[in-house]
Amino acid sequence: MSTDIDLQQLPRLSELFKLFNAGKHLNRLSDPSLWVELEQSLPAYTELFKALGYELCVDGRGFAWFHNEEVSPSVSGQSRQLALLFMVIFDTQADAGYSLQRFSEWRVDRKLIEVVFEQHQELLIAEGLEVDELLALLAKAETFGFARQHVDYWELLPAVCRYLDHFEALADHLREQGAEQDSGEDEDDMSDTGGVS
Amino acid sequence: MIRYGFQRLVLLGSAGYQRAELPLDDAVSLIAPNNTGKTSLINALQFLLIINKQRMDFGSHDDSKTRRFYFPNNSAYILLEITLPQTGTVVFGCVGKGVSYDYEYFAYKGDLVVEDYRLPEGHLVQQPQLISHLATRGRSVYRYDASEFAKRIYGGRLNERRSEPDFTVFKLENSNDAQVFQQVLTRTLRLDKLASADVKKHLLQIFRRDLPDRNINFKQVWDEAFHDVNADRAQYEAANSQLALIQKMESFYEQRLSLRGKLVVWQTRVNEALSQWQDYYHQQITSLTEQEQMLEAQQKQQTERIKQLTRSQGDLERTIEQLEKENREQTQLQSRFSLVSSRAVMELQLDAIKRELYRVSAVLQQADGRTVAAIERALSRQKQHLDTLKQQKKNLDDNLYRSLGEQLSAEELDRLNRVLSEQAMVLSSEHFRVDLTELKRVLATATADRVELGGLSLSVARLQPGHKQLTEAALDEQIADTERELIGLEAQLAAAQSMEATRHRKQSLENEVQEAQQALADYDRLQSLLESAPERELAFQARTQELHQLNDELERFSEHTEALRLQREQVIDRQKQLQDQNGRIDRLRNNRLDLTEEFSYLKALPHHPWMAEEVWPLDELANNMRTFQQDCQALNQFNSELKAGIRELHAGGLTRFQYSEVEDQELKRIIEFSHQLPQEREALEKKARSAVVNVTASLRELRNGLLTFQSKMREFNRLIGHRRLSDLKTFKIEAEDESHLVEAINVLIAKAEQVETGDSFELFNQESVLDDTALDRAKQILIDEGNARHGLKVDDLFRLVFVVAKFDQEAETFQDIDSAASNGTVLMAKLVTGLAMLHLMQDKRHKLHAICYLDEALALDGRNQASLIETAHEFGFSLIFASPAPLTTVRYCVPIHHSDGANHISRDSWQMLEPLNSEGIR
Ligand SMILES: Nc1ncnc2c1ncn2[C@@H]1O[C@H](COP(=O)(O)OP(=O)(O)OP(=O)(O)O)[C@@H](O)[C@H]1O
Ligand SMILES: [Mg+2]
Repeated sequence: MSTDIDLQQLPRLSELFKLFNAGKHLNRLSDPSLWVELEQSLPAYTELFKALGYELCVDGRGFAWFHNEEVSPSVSGQSRQLALLFMVIFDTQADAGYSLQRFSEWRVDRKLIEVVFEQHQELLIAEGLEVDELLALLAKAETFGFARQHVDYWELLPAVCRYLDHFEALADHLREQGAEQDSGEDEDDMSDTGGVS
Repeated sequence: MIRYGFQRLVLLGSAGYQRAELPLDDAVSLIAPNNTGKTSLINALQFLLIINKQRMDFGSHDDSKTRRFYFPNNSAYILLEITLPQTGTVVFGCVGKGVSYDYEYFAYKGDLVVEDYRLPEGHLVQQPQLISHLATRGRSVYRYDASEFAKRIYGGRLNERRSEPDFTVFKLENSNDAQVFQQVLTRTLRLDKLASADVKKHLLQIFRRDLPDRNINFKQVWDEAFHDVNADRAQYEAANSQLALIQKMESFYEQRLSLRGKLVVWQTRVNEALSQWQDYYHQQITSLTEQEQMLEAQQKQQTERIKQLTRSQGDLERTIEQLEKENREQTQLQSRFSLVSSRAVMELQLDAIKRELYRVSAVLQQADGRTVAAIERALSRQKQHLDTLKQQKKNLDDNLYRSLGEQLSAEELDRLNRVLSEQAMVLSSEHFRVDLTELKRVLATATADRVELGGLSLSVARLQPGHKQLTEAALDEQIADTERELIGLEAQLAAAQSMEATRHRKQSLENEVQEAQQALADYDRLQSLLESAPERELAFQARTQELHQLNDELERFSEHTEALRLQREQVIDRQKQLQDQNGRIDRLRNNRLDLTEEFSYLKALPHHPWMAEEVWPLDELANNMRTFQQDCQALNQFNSELKAGIRELHAGGLTRFQYSEVEDQELKRIIEFSHQLPQEREALEKKARSAVVNVTASLRELRNGLLTFQSKMREFNRLIGHRRLSDLKTFKIEAEDESHLVEAINVLIAKAEQVETGDSFELFNQESVLDDTALDRAKQILIDEGNARHGLKVDDLFRLVFVVAKFDQEAETFQDIDSAASNGTVLMAKLVTGLAMLHLMQDKRHKLHAICYLDEALALDGRNQASLIETAHEFGFSLIFASPAPLTTVRYCVPIHHSDGANHISRDSWQMLEPLNSEGIR
């Protein structure tokens, strides 16, 4: 391991650090030049950030962020709301037959959010989220690098994969559970599903 | 059975070995405790195989330390025996030169015989003597520097200088791969360092030949393809948005063409007319002046004559008036003397009057003084005196004087008589009353010469007594006197009164005389008038006729004069007009607007021919010139309007025609362009579509590169998946799309296909590619990425992932090979990957066994060792494992001995293991 990192070779260090430290995700799609910078000196950056006490995570799907173990309660609250937002969007889109992998092609606009709200009204109202709050959450999502705003719609950025992965894992889990329950009804001998719920 | 390939490695006096001999023709387990020299032995191969100092890797040992370690003197040797299919057995060597631990290369055909390097007395041959010494042993040795040597080993192109044996060891499918091959080889010698990024890099290099080499600057490609489209579009839009202006300019342009045509004709006419004007003008003026002078003379003549006539007229009128007056006088006198028969009668009357006058005058001369008035006053006085006397007589006994005289003293009476009037003293008793006492008392209060009456005190001394008491006789006498006196006075009065009348008569007679004399004179006058009457009548007739004639003549003259005046005025007017015109012409001539440069070649400029054929009298020159001037001005106005318009159009972006030779041409083109806008838009769309198609050519190349690479990777995976790695069901390396880029490329290609195969270019059937948002987004993504990476390459379109699946588990994808499995498994994976890569690069016809080295070999279990040995074998490699304990999966076990402060490996200590069975040992 080389121990000497030449800071001259990292001209955009402070920019990157500021971005990550603000809790934002860097997306290759929306910020290709910064991404290239990171990609080309990735070992140096990783090491440098590590020395500073941050864990830089890079996902090959084109996004990077600082992994943070201890999250402040307000951030976690926001994160929870964001998770909910993306979950209901995924759910709505999946029902509408869209491939979730292609979320970056969706035009998330008021119309879509209204449909989303309609379909998850109970859940969202319980969380105190209505259409306007959901739209405000999208603006919040932009500050974390999950979305970017176009003239009349929001585009979801690759970093949303982090939520999508969770969502799919959850969906798989539920599907398995459902399958087991189905087969349980049929065969009656597979009853060890208690631990999963 | 000859097996081509690496046979033996020998170190003499190098790296702490006095002598080392290592078999390379099959799997070797090099056995020694830590820090003995296993790694340094195998690293010695780098000098012969890697050659390039920059690429050699001795871990933490630096270059100079390493050279001192391997070449401490000029009899330090690293020797490698290889059997080449084309040449047979050859020896490659590296020998120290002693000076600054440098070394050089040599090679020769023949077997590696250690004794060849030993002198009879047992010392090793020193580098300066090496060639001659080996020559004595029948070896013809070739010496090389590092790069010459590398070329021989890797079959680089070289000029066949001598009849030198072919020393090529690594025959590559493509000699350009030498560098990559060395890199991979280096890595393979130190497998633990093979990282994911290296794998991608090497694979790309290996497959590079099959991939487009291009680094596509997408922005540039796009801009080039769309350069014309964008430029055309900008022009189209600039024209479209300024259509109103262009239409206005078109109208100006047309008007200017007509105007120019007109001016071309008019300019000639103006010049012609101007050249004639002076003569014309002078001739006109002269003739007019002559006319005017003539008329003026006539006018003067007339005025003279009129004056004369007017004078005669006055004379005649006066004469006639005189005659009329005399006639009137005659008539008057005739009527006055109509009753007079003759002059004698009148003379007689005059004489009579004169005689009477004479008589009266004589009367008056005799009569004297007292006037009628004085006589009448005396008469009145006497009548009054008579009354008083008569009163006195009547009241003689009963009057105030008598009553007072009876009762008062004489003195007292006297005093009163002086105060009271005579009439008062004669008042009768009925007209007075006396209080005697009171009267006496009053009289007594005053002195004798005074009387006191109430508040009044009078002195009476100077007063006459009022009344003198007469006797009746005296009274009668006095009354008779007075009555006589009255009669005398009355006679006097009558006489006086007749004198007065006479005087009046004289006066009137004098008047009568005068009148009569005048009448006589008047009569005489009448006679003379009557005498001249016939003569007068004749004169009157003649004069009146004369006057009539005169008046007629005057009237005629005034008419004539008026006509003359008008005539002259007209001439003067005409003159003034002409001068005025001349002045205007002069001014216009001096300020001609057609003297600027443009007008000199007006004819050469585009214009509409002027057809209208006006009449051009010289008379109208000034007006025509004014029209001409106005037209010139209008032309200039059009010129500047059009210039400004063009400037505005340029500013508005319509610059396509600005390099036209002349402005007219540019205008014409702009106007034509504005007429062609719908067609232009259609053409633009066509161009845009073909631009999309052009742009996608390079994208197709990229995408094909990606697809090729992916298919190469499938081949590669077949190669490495052939043999089972550890407990892995699957191990493969996949090129996963960078989906946003690939998608973007697909969008563009799909669009290009759509417009290419699109059966019609009809503009309004399909959505225009000029405003396609998906297209735009895709393009932007590629441009951004391309900009960030200074061009797009195939390798930017994918990322390598390692897909690993254990038995009973689903495949997992890892970006980093190190995290994909356990240490040993990863090591295996890396080695297999590395060997596969080397294999791919080598010429398959040139079967030659090479070696690779696995340090820390104990991390692998026996099964994996066996599997690895077999896989390496298939790829053409023998494995050298280094470990403190022996491995049993190999063919040779080679321990390192240490004695006399140096390491030794002798052929004798090699232990050959024959495989018991193919399963190996667990
Ligand atoms: N390039 C070099 N330059 C100088 N000294 C070296 C070099 N390579 C190895 N040595 C020295 O040679 C000796 C043997 O080291 P080497 O790495 O060969 O041992 P090893 O047998 O591989 O040990 P291990 O089992 O720990 O890997 C060490 O003293 C080392 O310092
Ligand atoms: Mg070692």
